[in-house]
This record gives sequence, structure tokens and C-alpha cells, in this order.
Amino acid sequence: MAGNTFMYAQNLHKIYRKNAISTPVLKGVDMEVAEGEFLSVVGASGSGKSTLMHLLGSLDKPDVGEIYYREKRIDNLSADKRDHLRNHDFGFIFQFYHLLPELTALENVMIPLMIRSSVFSWLGNGSVARKRAITLMEKVGLGHRMHHLPKELSGGEMQRTAIARALIGNPALLFADEPTGNLDEDTGREIVQLLRELNEIDNVTIIMVTHNLEIARGTHRIIKLVAGHVEVPLQQHPEAFGVVRPESFDNLPEDENHPDETRRPAGI
Amino acid sequence: MYKLLLCWKYLRTRYLAMVCIVSVMLGVATLIVVNSVMGGFSTKLKERLHGLLSDVVLEAYDYDGFTDAPSKMALIRNDPFLSNEVEAMTATLEIFAMLQFNFREVPFTRPVRIIGIEPEGRKAVGGFAEHLVNPKNHENPTFNLDENARERFIIRRASRGIDFPGPREAPNLNEPPPPDPPPSKPHEPQGVILGYAIAHYRDRNAPADLVNKDVRTLEPGDEVVITTVSGAKMSPVFDRFVVSDYFKSEMSEYDSNYVFMPIEHLQKLRTMEDRVTSIQIKLKDYNKAPKVVARLRELFANAPLEVQTWEQKQGAVLAAIRVEKGILNILLFLIIAVAGFGILAIFSMIVVEKTRDIGILKALGASNGGILTIFIGYGFLLGLVGAGLGTIIGLEITVHINDIEKLIANVTGQDIFPRDVYYFDKIPTDINLFSVFLVNLGSIGIAVLFSILPALRASMLHPVRALRYE
Repeated sequence: MAGNTFMYAQNLHKIYRKNAISTPVLKGVDMEVAEGEFLSVVGASGSGKSTLMHLLGSLDKPDVGEIYYREKRIDNLSADKRDHLRNHDFGFIFQFYHLLPELTALENVMIPLMIRSSVFSWLGNGSVARKRAITLMEKVGLGHRMHHLPKELSGGEMQRTAIARALIGNPALLFADEPTGNLDEDTGREIVQLLRELNEIDNVTIIMVTHNLEIARGTHRIIKLVAGHVEVPLQQHPEAFGVVRPESFDNLPEDENHPDETRRPAGI
Repeated sequence: MYKLLLCWKYLRTRYLAMVCIVSVMLGVATLIVVNSVMGGFSTKLKERLHGLLSDVVLEAYDYDGFTDAPSKMALIRNDPFLSNEVEAMTATLEIFAMLQFNFREVPFTRPVRIIGIEPEGRKAVGGFAEHLVNPKNHENPTFNLDENARERFIIRRASRGIDFPGPREAPNLNEPPPPDPPPSKPHEPQGVILGYAIAHYRDRNAPADLVNKDVRTLEPGDEVVITTVSGAKMSPVFDRFVVSDYFKSEMSEYDSNYVFMPIEHLQKLRTMEDRVTSIQIKLKDYNKAPKVVARLRELFANAPLEVQTWEQKQGAVLAAIRVEKGILNILLFLIIAVAGFGILAIFSMIVVEKTRDIGILKALGASNGGILTIFIGYGFLLGLVGAGLGTIIGLEITVHINDIEKLIANVTGQDIFPRDVYYFDKIPTDINLFSVFLVNLGSIGIAVLFSILPALRASMLHPVRALRYE
């Protein structure tokens, strides 16, 4: 799994303010992720998991702290550069799929490539992008649903479409925010299998936010956030800030062996 | 590329936006119809205002006129510049008068304007012969009575027992011989051409299906008496005339006031031989009128003459038409402005509805400018489609406006376009493509303008807040 430090964050603070009320969500989070790693961020609701993901994914800026990606600081980049980063380097998967309802599944998958193309360049490269989108749709098992609108797809299918969309730009880093949160158990498992597959075969680095420890256990590493902090004190893991192994969670069930056949989603 | 795709998808799927399209469409259609009809009226009115007036008019300041018109015309003809620009010219003499006639044994008197003309010359200047009702007069306009008119004139006179001498009595040799008998042909007064509305009135009680509702009060061959003033002392003079034809320019002011007669006759009647009140000039190219006017003013700088183009002469009326059209356009454009507020309201709703989608797009790397472009482009598309449909509907209505008017009149029983007001047979329309273009441009501009605010709001949305929007 892990290679060099790919992304790391230091002393991240984030406070949400509404009128006179301030709600600190992150209170000094340090973390890192190595290239090719599949990292889970777990924690209870309101612990700051999604906020952390938004900061790392440059969807939002920290109030205090720094974020580095490939040794370059990204939290202070201009809006344009952050847009570029999200479009070219990062992929996002959300709990509620967040597909555009007016577009077909295939069009939804193509959107990131459309965002980076002008009309004229699309006229030249559109067919290549389309082929890639079709390949990805087939890869996530939706070759037969490409021209359906999101409302005509099941939850699992919508999430697969969202995964295909996240992958179409060849992202180096995939952010998955509760990707199984809105799915039944079996479908959720399939989705995680698919992500694991992407990580292992395509070497996509993944940061997955989840509150489901069972799902998290299938990843390389787990960070637990509690009330805006990484729960495990830094000094216990000098080699990796805030990192805990799944087995170190007291409340986790015993580690299970995941037979290879269960780690491969059908059809991939 | 995604902006284009989303604009197109939003256009096809947001039925709420159809309201915007319909409001722009109605505004554009209304503007095109009103502009075309106003333009039609305006063009027709201009044609008619121009009708009797030549391109350039050289006229005296008062009714006494000026002398020696032939030498003035010769001067113009011999001017190197003017000789190339002037196509035709003729002298006219104009004066107010009273017209008296009997209709159904009731005497009528009405004020008129007498215009003394030389028919051939007036025809050459234009705006006269083609408006004469008797088709024979189109080619060779004349004040002479045609056969039917003469017959009527003779019969009318005979019925009044005048002009036809009775049987001769046996000569009384004790008395001196009587003077020579009057000529056997009755004395025929001078023919005049009356404005159509002087000799006709519209019967408002006529059956609806009657095509010609005009009642004639004076037939060709009927006699009239014209009283005007003569010389500097303004002493009244009058003479008997006979109607030879009608002048129907469809311009109410001319048709109900003007009486034409030969200029020599009018000069004699007013004892002002050799005097005329204006010289009417027709140009080869009206675009050169300002230069011609300047040259004429130079040429007659010392003479008490006014030189004007027909537009300058009718300046007040033409300015009124322009102002009227301008104000109407502004008022009607408010309709589209109202549509603009509709777009603003509906777009704001759509932005709220699309908040999460905006968050998704931003998460996927769409820039603020990109989001702004989507919504402005959407406004542009709504404007474009609305204006396009409005143009088609507006042009269709304009082309078929008379059929539509008939249909509405039949259904409601109300005469929407009373033809006797303007003496128009149908509602005139004039589709000005440039104004259609301007209306389209304005409407699309308003649609874009009113979509800027919601588009800005959309573009400024924070991606995380937008993604979390419920």
C-alpha cells in the first residue's frame, strides 16, 4: 500500500459561524495519507469527518492549518487553481450520489471532462471522452443503464455512476464521503469492494469518510475523529500522525479475514 | 461544454421557465405587431402627407403670392446644379374659399382651400393625377366634363328652366331688332375637381354588408358656387363652377378641404394675373433635397420666398408621428421589462432549486465564471427562444391582421377598425426588419440582464453549503 507521503494536513481548525454562534468542528487535526493508500476516516455524526474531507478536497478552506498535496501547499491556492485541482487531481463520491438529475448516467459521468473542455475542444475530443465514459460505465457494471436518468436508477446504480464520474478524470486521489451511507448493506459492501478494487488494481489513493466501522475495516488504515480531534494521541504513532490500525479500536469486532472472492465486486 | 449542455437541458426540462419564454414571446409579438401597424399607418400617412406636396416647395409667405413664376422657373432650369436635379416643376396658387351647393334642395356651405393648378404640370410633379377618381384623368388630367357629367349638367340646368331659350316670338317690325340670341349651347361654367370627402359622406346606418357606404352629395356635372377674396383689398368674388371629378388621396385633410381648378381661372377670379403662391418642384433624387434647398435659398435670397422640403413643411406632423411611435415603443417595451422581472423571479427560484447541483458542479471543478455562464446562457436561451417564437407569432399576426380583425369583428360584433376614420380599406402594416431585429435584441438583452442577478448568486454559492443544501 503506502508509498511516499502524498497528502498531509497540519493543525487543521475549522469553525462554522452563524450570527454570534461559533461552532468549532475541527480543533487541530493532523493527518497524512500515502500514495496508493486506502484511508478511512471514522467518527460519530458531527465529529468533523465530512468537514475534514471538504478541507482536504479543497472544497473549503481551513481557518487555521495547512494542507499539502504532493509537497505543495493547496489550502491557500486561488479559486481557479483549486477548481483545477478538483477537476484534474481529485475525484469525489458523495453519500447522496449527487448526480445531476437532468443528465443521463453517461452524461453525468462525462461532466468532469466537459468541465475541462471548451465547446471546440469537445468537438475534437468528445468522442474519446465518450468512449472512456462508456468503458467506465461498463467497468462499474452499468453498461446497460447509460442512457437512463438518475431517477430511473437504483441507489447502488447511482453510486456506481458517481464512482464512474469520479474516475473519469483519472484522479490521483478519490474522496468518498459516506459512499455507502444511503445504501443497503449488500449494496454498500459492493460499493466498498469496488473502491478497494480501484485502489488495488488502479492504485487510486482513497480517503473514505464513513461512520460504519465494518466498512472501514476493509481499508488500509483508519483515523478516528472525536469532537474535532484525531482520537489517538500523536505520540503513540510517531511515524504517522493520528493513524490507528483497525485492530487498535477497542470497540471494533475482531478482524475478519476477507476472502479474495468477497473483495471483488461481481463483474469487475 | 458542460455549460452548453446544462443550458440546453435546463431549457428542455424546466417547465417553470416556459413562463419566461411565454412572457418574452408575448412581449415581442405585441411589439412587432404594434410597430408594424404603427409603421404602416406612419408610412401611409407620410405617403399621403407627401402626396400633394412636391419634394421641394418654393412658396410665398402670404396669399398674395409672388409674380413672374415662369422667369423664376427658368432661373431654376438654367442653374447648372438645379437643372440636373429637378425633374419637373409647376406653379400653383392656393387660397381659402367658401363652397356652396344644394343637396336634396338644402343649401350647404363649407370652407375649402382652392388650389389653382396647371393639370399637366401638376401631374408631372406627382401626387395628383393618380388620385383622381375618374380613370380617364389619370393619363391626361383635365377639368373638362366628360359626357355623362355634361349631360347631367345640361339636364339639371334645363330642369331649372335656365339657359335654354324658349321658342322665338314673331318679330315686331315696329321695334328695333332684338339683340343676338344667346348661343344655343348653354354656357358651361368652369370645371373643378373636388376633394372626395367634400362630395361624399359615410352613411353610418348603411347595412353592414354594403361595400360602398359612401353617399354622394355632388355628382360630376353638379354646380357649385365658390366665393373667395380678390386683390389686396380682399373684396369677395364668386363664380359658378361645375364638378368634373373627385380627388381621393385617402388623406382626410386633403380630401375634405381641397378643390382644384385651373390656375388661370383662379388668377382671373382673384384679379391677380401672373401671381402664384408656390412653385412645386419634383427632384430626380430626393436624397439631394437638402442641397437643392440650400441652392434655391441662395438663388432666391432676396425674394420673399420660403424654400422647404415637404418634410420640413410637414415637420410638426412628422415629428408628432415620430414622438408617438417612440413613446408607444417605450411603453410597450415595459411589457418586456415586466417579463424581465418574471425571469428574475423564476430564475431565483431555479437557482434555489438547483443549489445542490451547483455544489456538485463546483465540487467537480466548475468555476464561478462557469456557473455564472450557465445561468446567463440559460437566460439568453430563454430570451432567444421567446423572442424567436414571438417574432414568428408577431409576423404571422401582422401579415394576417385584416383577417384577424374581420374575425374578431364578426365574433364580437364590434367594428374594431372603422374604415371611415382613415379612409383605409384595410389596416396598413409595414414590417421593418431592422425594428424587428431591435425588438429581438432588446428582449434578449432584457432576458440576459435580468438573469445576471440570480446567476451571480448561483456563482457565489459556497460549494460545501450548496452540497449540504436541503
